[in-house]
Amino acid sequence: MMASADIIIIGAGVMGQGLAEAVATSGNEVMLIDKTTKLAERGLRGISESIDREIHKWGLTQADRRAILARIFPSSDISQAEDAGIVIECIPENLAMKRSLFDKLDEICKLDALLITNTGTLSISEIAAATKRPSKIIGMHFLNPVTKIPLVEIVKGLKTDDESFQKAVEFAELLDKQWITVNEYPGYVTTRIIVPLLNEAMHVLMEGVATAEDVDKAMKLGFGFNIGPLALADMMGLDVVMSWMENLLAELSEHKYNPCPLLRKMVRAGRLGVKTGRGFFSYDDEGNRITDEETNEQPADGEQFQ
Amino acid sequence: MNILVINCGSSSVKYQLIDTSTEIALAKGAVSRIGMSAAVLTHRPYDRPEITSAGEILDHIIAVEQVVLTLTSETHGVIRDKSEIAAVGHRVVHGGERFADSVLITPELMVELRSLIELAPLHNPHNIRGINASQKTLPDAPQVAVFDTSFHHRMPPHAYIYGVPYVLYKRYGIRRYGFHGTSHRYVSERAADILCRPLTDLKMITCHLGGGASLAAIDGGVSVDTSMGFTPLEGLLMNTRSGDLDPAIILHIMAREELSLHEANTLLNKHSGLSGISGVSSDMQDIQEAAASGNQNAQLALDIYCYRLKKYIASYTAAMGGLDALVFTAGVGENSPIVRAKSCENLGFMGVEIDENRNAEGNCQETVISSNASKVSVFVIPTNEELVIARDTKRIVEAAG
Repeated sequence: MMASADIIIIGAGVMGQGLAEAVATSGNEVMLIDKTTKLAERGLRGISESIDREIHKWGLTQADRRAILARIFPSSDISQAEDAGIVIECIPENLAMKRSLFDKLDEICKLDALLITNTGTLSISEIAAATKRPSKIIGMHFLNPVTKIPLVEIVKGLKTDDESFQKAVEFAELLDKQWITVNEYPGYVTTRIIVPLLNEAMHVLMEGVATAEDVDKAMKLGFGFNIGPLALADMMGLDVVMSWMENLLAELSEHKYNPCPLLRKMVRAGRLGVKTGRGFFSYDDEGNRITDEETNEQPADGEQFQ
Repeated sequence: MNILVINCGSSSVKYQLIDTSTEIALAKGAVSRIGMSAAVLTHRPYDRPEITSAGEILDHIIAVEQVVLTLTSETHGVIRDKSEIAAVGHRVVHGGERFADSVLITPELMVELRSLIELAPLHNPHNIRGINASQKTLPDAPQVAVFDTSFHHRMPPHAYIYGVPYVLYKRYGIRRYGFHGTSHRYVSERAADILCRPLTDLKMITCHLGGGASLAAIDGGVSVDTSMGFTPLEGLLMNTRSGDLDPAIILHIMAREELSLHEANTLLNKHSGLSGISGVSSDMQDIQEAAASGNQNAQLALDIYCYRLKKYIASYTAAMGGLDALVFTAGVGENSPIVRAKSCENLGFMGVEIDENRNAEGNCQETVISSNASKVSVFVIPTNEELVIARDTKRIVEAAG
């Protein structure tokens, strides 16, 4: 078993919260670090709410809740990472920010620490180049919601060594995740394939071919998806989907990664999906789907954007 | 001969050091919260007060090392050196169809134990971890595995095959295995001793009513049926487990609430039973108190609990064609006169009659609680699974030379 107190997560947003919950659920202690104590504590509250939803769905108990929360320590002090064996970065999908964080971690962390970046599209080699130890940098692309999705993509940068890869595999197994090996290439496997699918669904909606409901219904029933592409985009956050597309477009210069105009419009309008209560569908404060009759706003079908 | 008895959970190690010549536990204790920065070790020597220590215990190997250090320590210890531990007996939950008896642990056996993980994914991995840890800490002591399932090994096929395609039994080992075997065995042997009659002449029902609960129909010393099945979820209503239900219910709920396998599993194992019905507590003591003060759901939970127990007692009597002795054991069985009385209510037609006073005074000690006129002897017998594990370990180690 891995020493328990040496796992550190940086970034207490949705991904950081999910990962911290997954680590704590596996029985290990974890420190959740963000820029301010307030942000880190907000992350802990988010985890607490996520656990409540899972209790409501019978998946966890109140006793589990106490045990899980007792293993998570919020902090704003990044120097705490100095003794950690594993540091996982979960900050926004922005290369400059990630590089500057890894530059800082390079100074703080002990030399044999495994530094993991949780990115869905960015180049591990480019992030690793910000440090003097590129062989110890590896990508692990967890998918949201981390506690529910059984998959992680382990992404090797050009200089990632075998020992780091083996450690990443052990970490994946600690969290009871299935893993696939990905040789670094923009978008890896999951993002690369899902993003054009989501984009195409938006085009179909924008062109007035079918309603949002029916687009999702078609893909769910027709192809056995658990969730329709538009609901999935809402869940991921439309701004996040757009940033992935822009990263892919910048890397590969291929037309198919050009964000659908409807997506651009909705992001500009601040309709970002579940997190803002409004995307292709409408949501209440707990993130549950509500029908459009229950809101005062117009549905997000294609017409109003034309 | 001193036998160390080990029972390993996901984040705990319970232990007893038993001297088999006197059958006295020289020390009992537990390590809990393994893997967290503040793990706790509690240790109670037979002749001194309990001690507690807290500190970092990262894994089961370190936990067992700490246990051995405590047992041999100058201040709290009960032995001088770890060489005084002659053998180690391990509780292993699932022995599958393979193990009819306790066995000496060998490298080949470990391979077989690992192959059983699929049948008991929640328990066997921790039991195996405990074995590895004690092999490392006590490399010279022989180790023995004692299975919860072994006692039910001679159950006839008509009791263990389910009404699903037979090919699933062949393919995945889908059958009734039964659990709590060590406890059912211990209390049935004790009851025969108290009756001064050979076990082989007796038809007996033993009710192990703990957090998990099961009964066994024991005919001539052989478990011929038991209420837990493929997993410990079947049978009686338990603290947080549903026990018997129409299997279509779970399919229906999974569809209606869009539950994952994990969520459905937790619903049945952790949100159901006394806790799920009463909404008060998973503890029978709390349920009884709430029921007594007028809480209707607590009363309902208590009623269901006892009603199911009574149905099983009567049906196992039918299965054996008679009943000589009925035994209550484990937390609820040893401590709740209400449960014992209610589950035997109206069983006079088959010769079960409880004496109210004896029942009321019969907690936590070996007692007859049936009336003098009762044809069936009803007992409270505190269970002692550790002693059975110690005895088996001694027998197996001596036979192995």
